[in-house]
Amino acid sequence: MTSTAAIFDAFRQDLDEHNDRRERLIKASRDVTNISKKAIFLLHRIVLENVPALDGLTPALRAAKAGNENLRQVQQIYANMKEELVGDRFWRYQHQVSPGLQEYIEALSFSHFLEHGTLISLDEVQQTLCDSKGAPYFPLTISDYMLGLSDLTGELMRYSISGLTKRGGRLQAMDTLGFVRNCKADFEAFTPYVRFLSKKQSVTAQSLQKIEDAVYAIVVRSSEYDLSPEMLDDIVSQTFSSSSADRRGGRRNADSEDGFDDENMSF
Amino acid sequence: MDPHDLENLNTALDHEAQLREKIKEQVVDLDKKARTMVGMLNKVHSIPYSQVAGLVDSVYLVLRSTNAPHTALADLVPPNQFWRWKDMWTNSLRTSVFVAAFLEYLSKGTLISLASTSEALGILDEWKDRFTLPIEDYLHGLITLVNELSRLAVNAVTLGNFQEPVRISIFVKDIFAGFTMLNLKNDQLRRRFDSLKYDMKKVEEVVYDVSLRKLAQPPDPPSG
Repeated sequence: MTSTAAIFDAFRQDLDEHNDRRERLIKASRDVTNISKKAIFLLHRIVLENVPALDGLTPALRAAKAGNENLRQVQQIYANMKEELVGDRFWRYQHQVSPGLQEYIEALSFSHFLEHGTLISLDEVQQTLCDSKGAPYFPLTISDYMLGLSDLTGELMRYSISGLTKRGGRLQAMDTLGFVRNCKADFEAFTPYVRFLSKKQSVTAQSLQKIEDAVYAIVVRSSEYDLSPEMLDDIVSQTFSSSSADRRGGRRNADSEDGFDDENMSF
Repeated sequence: MDPHDLENLNTALDHEAQLREKIKEQVVDLDKKARTMVGMLNKVHSIPYSQVAGLVDSVYLVLRSTNAPHTALADLVPPNQFWRWKDMWTNSLRTSVFVAAFLEYLSKGTLISLASTSEALGILDEWKDRFTLPIEDYLHGLITLVNELSRLAVNAVTLGNFQEPVRISIFVKDIFAGFTMLNLKNDQLRRRFDSLKYDMKKVEEVVYDVSLRKLAQPPDPPSG
């Protein structure tokens, strides 16, 4: 073997190792994205269930519980990835890890919102990505955190508008409106520092406007009747149950899972 | 968002922005040096062979002057964050590798190793997680060298140095053989490697021209 051949032979091993690791991380990241997306659907599904309280839990708390359960699979994937991302490797493979991580943060923050009604903090996200001794699997970047949260606003838009037909949905939409508005204002300061955030901010602005329009309609229409929100809910749900009885020849929940899909959510 | 968290995030981001500025300063310096070296080395295509040694020495001085900014970068980059910032200086680093490899070829006719390149650029082993010379960038530098040598093969003949293309041909084939040992994925390095065959072809044609006209001696059989 010439000296050149010897040099390149050593390179081959190194490059192969790098490419293989990269592939493994891309695959793992895809799995993370998949599980997280499913968790988000699960959250939407449970929160819309028309059973006010089960085992003493509201739909939102039930959803958060089930969602967190699902996201534990993601945390396990990250625990397994730990060795691949040790030391300077995290930054080397950051581009491969980021997409899945942001999807996870979106799901986690949605679940957190349903449970606590607040925005999850960076530390709280990092804590879900630590081993039992509290050592992080890898450092969570502000960029991934912000970009993940930025997607949360889209989920909150779906959540508040899909929930409008539900008992208490109008008040909930108004609450969510305030929350999303705060998110947008808080994130704005970070746009010069976080790449791609300003693009996401414009999506947030659209979501915000959709909620605003929905809430506007509620206020205008309910102002025509001098009734409390609860009484309005009663009237609407009576109409729902009688009409669905007519149509389907039997009693069914007004908002069972049927038709809860992407098309229906893109208002 | 909690006001306290908000402030923490802002502080962290401010800090990062400042660091970026400081790194940028060094990179601007490195870019300038890289351009200077490439400009100087361009003369190799037009000066007689006897003046090459002097040119090598003066370029080497500039190459050595990259050590200071490299050291500054190693000091600036936080532990484990090499890959986070490296895109900022990749271009100038690859140019420096090319220059180091070209100088080695011009003075000794041999291929510089990655370790010797690091040494010439003043990059220390213990900086590994903050500033290092990745294999990929070293390989990019070698491809630039082959591109440049195919040009030199032509211009050496113009200057009456008929033996040079033969030397270049052997040297370049050796590097090409090395690259074929790698499993390159579809990235920039792979595309640049694919273009090497045109450089090889160009050198071969020059060798063909000079040997057919009996202007150059056939090469010694390669040793080793």
